[in-house]
Amino acid sequence: MAASADDRTLLPYGGEIYNAVLDFLYREAEILDERRHDEWLAMLTDDIRYLVPVRVTSAHSLADSALRDMAHFDEDLYSLRKRVERFATEHAWAEDPPSRTRRHVTNVRCYEGDSDADVVTRSNLLLFRSRGDIHDHDLLSATRTDALRREGGRLKLARRTVLLDESVLRTQNLAVFL
Amino acid sequence: MNLEQVIDDVRSGMIPARVYSDPELFELERRRVFGRAWLFLAHESEIREPGDYVVRRIVDDSFIIVRDEDGRVRVLFNMCLHRGMQVCRSELGNTSHFRCPYHAWTYKNSGELIGVPFHRDAYGGEDGLRRSGMGLLPAPRVETYAGLIFASLDDDAPELADYLGGFRFYLDFYLRQSAEGSELHGPQRFRVKANWKIGAENFAGDTYHTPHTHASVVEINLFSAPKAAKRKEGALYFADRGGGTSYKLATNAGMRANLRSIGYPDEMIDRMQESWDRGHRSLVGQAGFMPSAATVLPNLSFVHNWPIVDDTGRVTPFVSLRLWQPVSATETEVLSWFAVDRAAPDWYKAASYKAYLMCFGSSGMFEQDDVENWASITQMAKGQMAERLNLNSRMGLRHDGGTVSEAIDWPAPGRAFVGFGEYNQRELLNLWCALLERDDDAPGDNGSHPRSRAAAID
Repeated sequence: MAASADDRTLLPYGGEIYNAVLDFLYREAEILDERRHDEWLAMLTDDIRYLVPVRVTSAHSLADSALRDMAHFDEDLYSLRKRVERFATEHAWAEDPPSRTRRHVTNVRCYEGDSDADVVTRSNLLLFRSRGDIHDHDLLSATRTDALRREGGRLKLARRTVLLDESVLRTQNLAVFL
Repeated sequence: MNLEQVIDDVRSGMIPARVYSDPELFELERRRVFGRAWLFLAHESEIREPGDYVVRRIVDDSFIIVRDEDGRVRVLFNMCLHRGMQVCRSELGNTSHFRCPYHAWTYKNSGELIGVPFHRDAYGGEDGLRRSGMGLLPAPRVETYAGLIFASLDDDAPELADYLGGFRFYLDFYLRQSAEGSELHGPQRFRVKANWKIGAENFAGDTYHTPHTHASVVEINLFSAPKAAKRKEGALYFADRGGGTSYKLATNAGMRANLRSIGYPDEMIDRMQESWDRGHRSLVGQAGFMPSAATVLPNLSFVHNWPIVDDTGRVTPFVSLRLWQPVSATETEVLSWFAVDRAAPDWYKAASYKAYLMCFGSSGMFEQDDVENWASITQMAKGQMAERLNLNSRMGLRHDGGTVSEAIDWPAPGRAFVGFGEYNQRELLNLWCALLERDDDAPGDNGSHPRSRAAAID
């Protein structure tokens, strides 16, 4: 998979590519917080793979802490589109009334790409989610490794792997994109 | 809380709302339901090799479920014999020994105590501490069926086979689609602010919620079957300790045609023909009912569905197991596994996994909307007004005690009704009542569970 940042050359902070990536990630966070999901789909390549593996408490090291055979999301464009279409119905109760979310994106680093991607990025995500007027808010903390590809002069997301920091999610569902 | 009154009300189909939030009742459930029933912990496919282990809970009690060096499955209470530290703190792995972090007492993966540091200096050797025969406390009862590892904290629990009774037939449907049996992947784990019984009841028999709660997945053409008209044609069956729902497929079409129609490939159907008995063939092929969701008392549920998994319109089925693991009266940890036949071709396993992820589990488009309901019910049940309200769970019952429709001819264990009705939810809660009202507390006979508990609750 092209999404690993290991052993890649770090691109300079503040450089042209870095700024373009930052713009992409900030724009994406805003679009998702504002629930403009169709615009989000347009930021993905047709061969998008969107993976959120299940984390477990493993002995000694974190190396084996992401399950290889079970994820919270393991999506392609079809399944992501279905999820977005669902939000547009009047019966997607998990997000109706909608949550108020805020995505905080930090620690952005950019690395050289490869045959599959123009640039690989690492970023941290803190997602605040508040529903209704009774429940405590949810916080989801994660790191993301993304592969971005330039298509038609614009960067698009081709691969994303989200490593959540919880083994047992303290949120009642993942009716939100990370 | 007056337990007798609660039980009378539940048996009449009028459920005191507080059963979904009452902490006193939960304390009683902890001992009388979770201290007595057979409880699912893990599947043998999760611990295939000697030394493989997973750590799971029964309410607050942590257990290591491990395959020892002789290949035997052990269920060991995860508490060091010395000072009570949790011995194994990772949730899965492979090891020959478990070593307590506190003073390094060390146990073989069979549970046997084999290492005590400074045994001679500190204890005078075997004269002071005889290691042989000592080991991590085993769960009082452990038995398996179809690869499912169950434990009971009740020494006097019936045999697992007798406990499951006729429901074993339906477990075969989900988990014995070939001689090789199933493999489980997962679980996804997430906490929901809902009472554990709500999910268990829903999966046991709530076809009535599908047309509305899950309207969105029909509207986006992910799945065509949950339409109201389809769901009420399904049968609701119950056999001994469990029951479930089904969808109606063609009558007398034959097992192959009906299984093909929901996406099973021929090579898998060939293996089902060999693995299943005449009852399965008759149920699926002649009567034309396809099992979908189900629950085994108290908190293990199943689901089998067949969404459209890609743009070509391909329909692919999946099976999921889930455990409603209580955390408190008002919070539940959901453990949700994907199950698939081991002999299935790789392409099928991949498509079925995708079907599962889209529909159920932490991100599943069905499950998301379910949990929204269940958390809301639990929240509403906390208040004072809820103490005055008995929820109507009498669907399918007439005032004279008769049923709205007659039980149908059913070529499989148990009884079944066609049409909407809360028959199964009542069956499940009646079994729950039977466990709750037994005041011969408690599991084990060491007198550590005072009989006065029941009186205190009244």
